[in-house]
Amino acid sequence: MTRFWLLKILRTVLTLWFVVTFAFVVLRTSGDPVVALVGGDATPEEVEQFRQLWRLDDPLWIQYFRYVIQMATGQFGISYRDGREVIDIITERVPWTLILGLFSYIGAILIGVPAGIFAAIKRGSTFDNLIMATAVFGFALPNFFLGILMILLFSLSLQWLPSSGTGTVWHLIMPAITLATFTAGTLARFTRSAMLEVLDKLYIRAAAAKGVGYWKRIVFHALPNASIPLVTIIGLNLGELIGGAIVVETVFAWPGVGRLLVTAVSSRDLAVVQGLVLVMAVTMVLANLVVDLLYGLLDPRIRVQN
Amino acid sequence: MFTRREVGSLILGAGALSMVGNLPKANAAERPSLNIAVDNLWANMATINGISTTSRRIFPNFYDNLVDRDYIKDENGLIFAPKLATKWEQNGTVWKFTLREGVKFHDGTEMTAEDAVFTLSPERLWGAKPFEPRGKTFTAGFKRVEATGKYTFEIETERPDPNIPSKLTGYIGFVVPKKYYMEVGVDAFGQKPIGTGPYKVTTFRSGEIMVLEAFDDYWDGPPPVKQISWKIVPEFAARMAGLVSKEFDFIVNIPTDQEAALEKYQGVTLKRVLADNYPALAFNTRPDPVDNPLVDPNLRYAMVQAIDMNAIVQALFNGTTEHPAVPFNFTEYGKFYDPKAPVKLPYDVAAAKALVAKTKYKGEKLIWHITRQYYPNYEAAAEIMVEQWREVGINVEAQILDNFELVYRRPYHLMNMSMSSDFIPGDPYQPLWLDWGPTASRSTATWKTWDPTPEYLAAGKKFDEAIEFEDRKKAYLELSDAWQKVTPGYYMWKSVYNCAHRAGIQFKFKPNGEMRIYGDYFKFV
Repeated sequence: MTRFWLLKILRTVLTLWFVVTFAFVVLRTSGDPVVALVGGDATPEEVEQFRQLWRLDDPLWIQYFRYVIQMATGQFGISYRDGREVIDIITERVPWTLILGLFSYIGAILIGVPAGIFAAIKRGSTFDNLIMATAVFGFALPNFFLGILMILLFSLSLQWLPSSGTGTVWHLIMPAITLATFTAGTLARFTRSAMLEVLDKLYIRAAAAKGVGYWKRIVFHALPNASIPLVTIIGLNLGELIGGAIVVETVFAWPGVGRLLVTAVSSRDLAVVQGLVLVMAVTMVLANLVVDLLYGLLDPRIRVQN
Repeated sequence: MFTRREVGSLILGAGALSMVGNLPKANAAERPSLNIAVDNLWANMATINGISTTSRRIFPNFYDNLVDRDYIKDENGLIFAPKLATKWEQNGTVWKFTLREGVKFHDGTEMTAEDAVFTLSPERLWGAKPFEPRGKTFTAGFKRVEATGKYTFEIETERPDPNIPSKLTGYIGFVVPKKYYMEVGVDAFGQKPIGTGPYKVTTFRSGEIMVLEAFDDYWDGPPPVKQISWKIVPEFAARMAGLVSKEFDFIVNIPTDQEAALEKYQGVTLKRVLADNYPALAFNTRPDPVDNPLVDPNLRYAMVQAIDMNAIVQALFNGTTEHPAVPFNFTEYGKFYDPKAPVKLPYDVAAAKALVAKTKYKGEKLIWHITRQYYPNYEAAAEIMVEQWREVGINVEAQILDNFELVYRRPYHLMNMSMSSDFIPGDPYQPLWLDWGPTASRSTATWKTWDPTPEYLAAGKKFDEAIEFEDRKKAYLELSDAWQKVTPGYYMWKSVYNCAHRAGIQFKFKPNGEMRIYGDYFKFV
């Protein structure tokens, strides 16, 4: 068991190092951040002064080591764009993304999973077809398009909901629905497939033969066995949610990390982008770790193997 | 550009206006608040490090200039009015300024000559390592800035410079408090700026929101609005929906093709103003790449003559703006502007074809670097221009790139750019000399597109040193001729700034994009 955890931790550290290095290489080789930040009219003298100010005139390897040490010690540095501590900039945005993400994630699970279960139970029925058509529509519809459609309908025409920003719970509705639609659609499809596979298993028939009630068979026998692929998908979908948040937060002017990333990348604010990449990588790594742990909890065979 | 007599009359006007400054204002307690949805907010609000269209929009609400341009009395803003300076006079190379007394910064300290001098000092703008390096561009020729009393100071320049008050109407004229600025440093100042304007900054979260609150100790009386929130709403549909549903009182930056749709909504007023700014393209006139066909001026002339820019402007802007047929002959330049100025390179397809025939150009691909969605309608215009060039046998490929850093990467033959024209009100100094001259980025940066010719430099020296209007106009024409002889660029149209507001507001939009929420520029009706 100790070896298992040591391997997990080593793999996690290696993943984070790779992500950090990859971000550094891509950002340094894809252009000069000083020119992007000071603008087109700056003279070479001004550009050079800013380069010195931000220590971008040091050799690349010195910049790299400084950067890795900073990342390892949790010092994300100063934003080139506004001179503030990157950690402050990120931490003031994280709660907004968490609120949006949690509402969307929980909403997507509460809608997607039951919809998939019912579609599987009513396989081949009109109800099944309707749910699956809706699910395909949900994950095929680009979220920027859905977001704008919702703004035009609910804010411009009907004037029921605020068009953008934060402040009340009403502000959360449209961005959360937009962000949840894709995940709910995906979850519905995967739940249906996983349930169909399990419902055909012999042990479900055996349970029926033993007189176990219909809903008891579904909830206590089929669902736990179908949950392994579902947990994997839910874990992976966290990445989709972060990706989706970039678009949704921009469309709805939601002040989260997704919008911060867009601004930082477009203005080549290296320190902020690097900090965000690390935060997102840690989030994904932790999510995968939780999924691994859940496998063990859900399936005793995996526990025993480990 | 002003003659000495005009400067004298301005001083008298300044004195008279300064006496009527403190008129009673509306009851402060009854003031409403405003929500303004903007497309962007610059990350830094220091007066020089924060230079951008998006900060210029807001600056005059919390900073005051030493000298103001009065757009109420003159559409082109060529009348000066006193602001923090009430009097100014020139004596050779020295300008003496008298400051308004009793003006307070937002932290309650009094503004004195020490602050004004620091604002224009070498340590902040034009020394060896200034706090705000871009200040050097606007302070060329400064030799000494010194306080001569609590409310008086002097600026000495290397040569007599009649345009110092004009220059103080721009970014360098926004006065900052020395003590606070030095205490917090330039970066922190850019995040929590303090000025003497009618509103004080209470919240600034870069990339999200800026909140201003009424500064009731303002020297010109309490402003009309209690609180102004400038919120970033990147998506236009959300800005439009917010205005129509009355979440926002103002929105800015409306795409040209959406203006008509927006105007159809009841209670929405669209405002457009022709800006002191021109999107343009630069020809790469240098042998870099070595086989650059554009080193031949005939090919550049042909490219200019092949474009029917009036038709393009009409199609894209529906007649709301205009194409300057003669470079630098801009209407906002008052007496410099000549409506009958000869057009040396008019639209003429046959002439363009003849010019191409004179060159060694054989249809090689010319690369045009364009920044994605930076200038409204630029990409659409480029598509049409590429086809018009194809008609005369010139093969141009427009490459749309994500940012200026990519645009500046060689090789390229053409690149997008824009030129402002308002650094010295009524004078073509900025676009003609500051932006193309020997110290400009266009002639010094690694991505430079031209090398100023001896003829241009000689004419520029004369223009830079000319004081009297007649001498300056003569030098201007000579300098413009020298530029046109090379034709290192092409001015496309005068930019249009737009915004829309709800009913119940009377608003005057300024051509430099400023949105002043006070004085004669803004009223609730």
